[in-house]
Amino acid sequence: MSWVVLLLVALPFASAALSLFVGHRGEVAERGIAVGASAIGLGLAFVVAFPHLGDATPLGHVFARTSAAGPAIELSVYVDQLTAAMLLLAHTVAFLVQVYSLGYMAGDPRYPSYAALISIFTGAMTLVVVADDLWVLLVGWELMGMCSYFLISHHWELREARAGAVKAFLMTRTADLGLLFAIIVLGVRFDTYRISTIMGEIADGGFGRDELWLPALLVTAAVIGKSAQFPLHTWLPDAMPGPTPISALIHAATMVAAGVFLVARTFPLYLSAPAALTTLALVASLTMIISATYALFTNDLKRVLAWSTVSQLAYMFGALAVGAYAAGVLHLLAHGAFKALLFLAAGSVVHAVGTTSMSAMGGLREKLPDTFVTMTVGFGALAGVVPLVGFFTKDAVIGSVWDAARHGHLVWPWVAWVLFASTVLTAVLTVAYSLRAWLMVFLTAAPPLAAEPAVSEAAEPHEAPLSMKVPLYLLTVPTLLGGLVVVYPQAVFGDGEYHLVHPGLAVVMTLLVVATALAVAWQWRRSGGRDPWHPFVLPHPAVDRVYAVGVVRPVRWLARTVRAGDRDVIDRYADGAGAATRGLGWVLRQAQTGNVQTYLMVVVVGACAIAVAAGVAS
Amino acid sequence: MIPVLLNGLLVAPAVFALLTAVLARRERLAVATAAAGSLVTFGWSVWLAVEHDGALGEAGSTVDAVWLTALDVHWALGVDGISAPLVLMTTLVFATALLSLFRHAPADAEGGPSRTASLAVLLLVIEAGVLGAFLALDMVLFFVFFEVALIPMWFVINAWGDAYDARARRRAATRFLIFTVTGSAVMLVGFLVVRAEAGTFDIVRVASSYTPSGATALAASVLVALGLAVKTPLWPLHIWLPDAHSKAPTVGSVVLAAVLLKLGTYGFLRFWMPVTSPEWLLVPVVAALAVVGIVYAALACLAQTDLKRLIAYSSVGHMGFVVLGAATFTVGGVQAAVFASVAHGLITGLLFFLAGSIKDRYGTTDLARLKVLYGKVPRLAGVFAFAAMASLGLPGLAGFWGEMLAIRAAVDQAAALPEDTYRWLAFVAALGVILTSAYFLALIRTMLQGGPVTPATEVDSTVELVADTVPAGEPGVVDARGSEWVTWAPLVLLTLVLGVAPGLLLTPVADATASFLVGLG
Repeated sequence: MSWVVLLLVALPFASAALSLFVGHRGEVAERGIAVGASAIGLGLAFVVAFPHLGDATPLGHVFARTSAAGPAIELSVYVDQLTAAMLLLAHTVAFLVQVYSLGYMAGDPRYPSYAALISIFTGAMTLVVVADDLWVLLVGWELMGMCSYFLISHHWELREARAGAVKAFLMTRTADLGLLFAIIVLGVRFDTYRISTIMGEIADGGFGRDELWLPALLVTAAVIGKSAQFPLHTWLPDAMPGPTPISALIHAATMVAAGVFLVARTFPLYLSAPAALTTLALVASLTMIISATYALFTNDLKRVLAWSTVSQLAYMFGALAVGAYAAGVLHLLAHGAFKALLFLAAGSVVHAVGTTSMSAMGGLREKLPDTFVTMTVGFGALAGVVPLVGFFTKDAVIGSVWDAARHGHLVWPWVAWVLFASTVLTAVLTVAYSLRAWLMVFLTAAPPLAAEPAVSEAAEPHEAPLSMKVPLYLLTVPTLLGGLVVVYPQAVFGDGEYHLVHPGLAVVMTLLVVATALAVAWQWRRSGGRDPWHPFVLPHPAVDRVYAVGVVRPVRWLARTVRAGDRDVIDRYADGAGAATRGLGWVLRQAQTGNVQTYLMVVVVGACAIAVAAGVAS
Repeated sequence: MIPVLLNGLLVAPAVFALLTAVLARRERLAVATAAAGSLVTFGWSVWLAVEHDGALGEAGSTVDAVWLTALDVHWALGVDGISAPLVLMTTLVFATALLSLFRHAPADAEGGPSRTASLAVLLLVIEAGVLGAFLALDMVLFFVFFEVALIPMWFVINAWGDAYDARARRRAATRFLIFTVTGSAVMLVGFLVVRAEAGTFDIVRVASSYTPSGATALAASVLVALGLAVKTPLWPLHIWLPDAHSKAPTVGSVVLAAVLLKLGTYGFLRFWMPVTSPEWLLVPVVAALAVVGIVYAALACLAQTDLKRLIAYSSVGHMGFVVLGAATFTVGGVQAAVFASVAHGLITGLLFFLAGSIKDRYGTTDLARLKVLYGKVPRLAGVFAFAAMASLGLPGLAGFWGEMLAIRAAVDQAAALPEDTYRWLAFVAALGVILTSAYFLALIRTMLQGGPVTPATEVDSTVELVADTVPAGEPGVVDARGSEWVTWAPLVLLTLVLGVAPGLLLTPVADATASFLVGLG
């Protein structure tokens, strides 16, 4: 079995290499490799995952180790319930994205490198979830950053794409330093890099409260960067110029999901360090409200979804921060399903309309019937409508925060209360922005055709090809039925007490959802069936300004200073050397007799001088 | 067997250099001979690496003959896990360099000894010198080979350098020579003082039995460090490097960056660490200079406007990690240093080859004039992006392990060193990693990406691509040629292999370090 896991990691990389080398040889090679490999990958993921869900003993295996100084770095895998669930999520979404891309990227000359990068992305995520060695995990972790960089800048002709890609890479890589130092600190402390061993030791106790605050906070820093939480939340929305299927992959199953996974993977470390949990809780409270507010006002369909991802990730962190492991992980899985659905559906809308601006959409219900049905399910899940999966997991999250606020002991009660208030408020905001986007895309009257020739020449919006529709319908299945897992979590996590269903709270939340929806709908009617509220552009997040003034500008200034400094030093040196050479040249002219013997003499004397020096010295 | 292999490894390039010189009038043949010689040398070094058993000092594993009786200088050669990776990297890089030269060979055939053939001869001489320096176990012998490698380089830069700017290339060549020769002279004085203290030039004996202490020993260590710091180079003695690297011909830049810098870093590991006590303030000072170099070079790169100068400066930063590793005085630090040295050789070699290919096509390396290479020469640009990713330390590629392990070693440094200082140094070095990412991304953005499309967008809206893409290819300019792939492929492949399986290199280095420098933690 362990070799199957290794194969599962290696397969996407092999497929990427094939795509790059023979992908240009024609349609069949180009598309067959990418889709075929991801189908096999999905199959292998099923083979690995199913035996390890529920009450299974985790699989651990070490393939190779370096007998290096310090703790050994090992190529080792560890498959437990968490890994199994993440493997299913990642490979399902990756497969559907590859299938979807057949239609979406048809005719794109850069398809081979695109497909290859998706494969590497999948492989990197697989590596992260199966890795039992911190360094191996870091490899996958940063490879994902690289893939998202290249995929965001897929359309490198666009200034926004170039800028967004650089921003994504630099922000996440800076945060990754946290993980690097966490690894080093843990290695020094535990004399091993094996995650299962370290977490086992921590879980066994013997560590004082907050004794391990440093590595826990360092991991948190990395997680904040990867999952785009405050104050590094701005890269994700700016990553939207990438092709839409990529957004589905990044937002649902890889990259940002990896942040939540890492917290879940190192959960014992967090439980031992309430300082990190408190930080996480506060960051999550702030992030979920800020990003939901942005989602509420932005006019760009993909940005609505991007901000909603940031906000939903904060939900997961909120759950984890109060110790509700199952709720956090289940919300991650549920979100993976419905956010992939939403992004792919959004892609289908963009494919049809040719823009991501919601004011250019409207009336698409008749024109894109399949997209309408599936995206409605997706938005419903996002808003938490009964009985879609989002309703159950969101209820589980809010419920566990509620429990923690009343009688939790991991974080201070006031922190839990703040978090609780944020989650409820965000739930309301989520309903509002989901409904607004849904109304603006599908129900609002179609906008008058713009006068630009580019638009008027374009054909009437039409439904996407089959390769794009099938993934949409497939993704509605877990979105519709996923709630069952919340009711019976033992299927995933094995036997145990899970307090995930909170009937009273569910009723209250549902009432809130209905009230909010009515308010938005009423507002929409009043506005004459267009944007429910006045178009309002929120200012760009202020932290970006802080980074520009506080980091980018000083670095640029320093760089110029360094360059100028080096040039001046060199010039001064060159001048000095020139003068010295003229002086030396005069001396040498006196010595220059053109006589070979003289030169030889000088060499011999020099050698003797060295010999004498050595002799004297000894 | 080993002694024959050791001597043979020095003889092979020398013999082929002679052969090439003899054949110099028949250009193609001469260069082919040189290329064949470099391949033979590479094969030979692989054989040596397979045969050797990893440790120095045992009878039969080294060559040791008295060379200059009066001075007690020995012809002492040996190879262990520290030098073997560098030897292999050297022979590989020279093989690729000479193979790439072969492509240029038929281009200029006039009467008289051909220029390309002469360049090939010089390269083989440099190769012999560098290999000698890596194999030397006697301090004076190391110095001699060090010089053998330096002098021909002056000719290479001076005669074959930047064809567009003769004055600048002469100045660069002279500056290179003055700096490095002065440096090596200082180093030699340091060696003489060590001889006075330890009673031998034999570095293996020095490493095993000499405990440096006192002012004289410190002075010796400072002198050796100073000499090596010029070659490595360590900030602020780096100012010869950008000129030399950017004005040299492509193969010259490759050899300078990939191989000659390693003489300095290898010197730190083999000849400086044994004569230095970690208790001295000197060690943290060297570490601090290394870290300053990392950040300084990254900042300088951010402001460069010339591709070759940028790559040259990036070397200063990478070498900073190597020296930081050495200055931790741990086995892990030495591992990191050797790994980072080899990785830098492969990656920066590749980057300079690519810069050369770009210059062949566009006649310039001025970043203001190189645009949208993704569109014009997609494959070449793709390989360049790969090399850039490797150089900025992407995990899974060779550049990652050496630098990250150097940071790890700095956090977990030798007991005698100041803990807090090193932790701060580790942190600053890590910031250097970010700055390195920043300048490579900026480079990709200005040189590879870009395009004619500037779509009008709403304030709050993203655009996803709908416009026409830049047409692939450009009339008159060929994308990557077959012969170029031959040059790049081994470097690309090894970058991948070492990135995926760092243990291949880390394990032998650790074993060798533990037996060479007894007492390291």
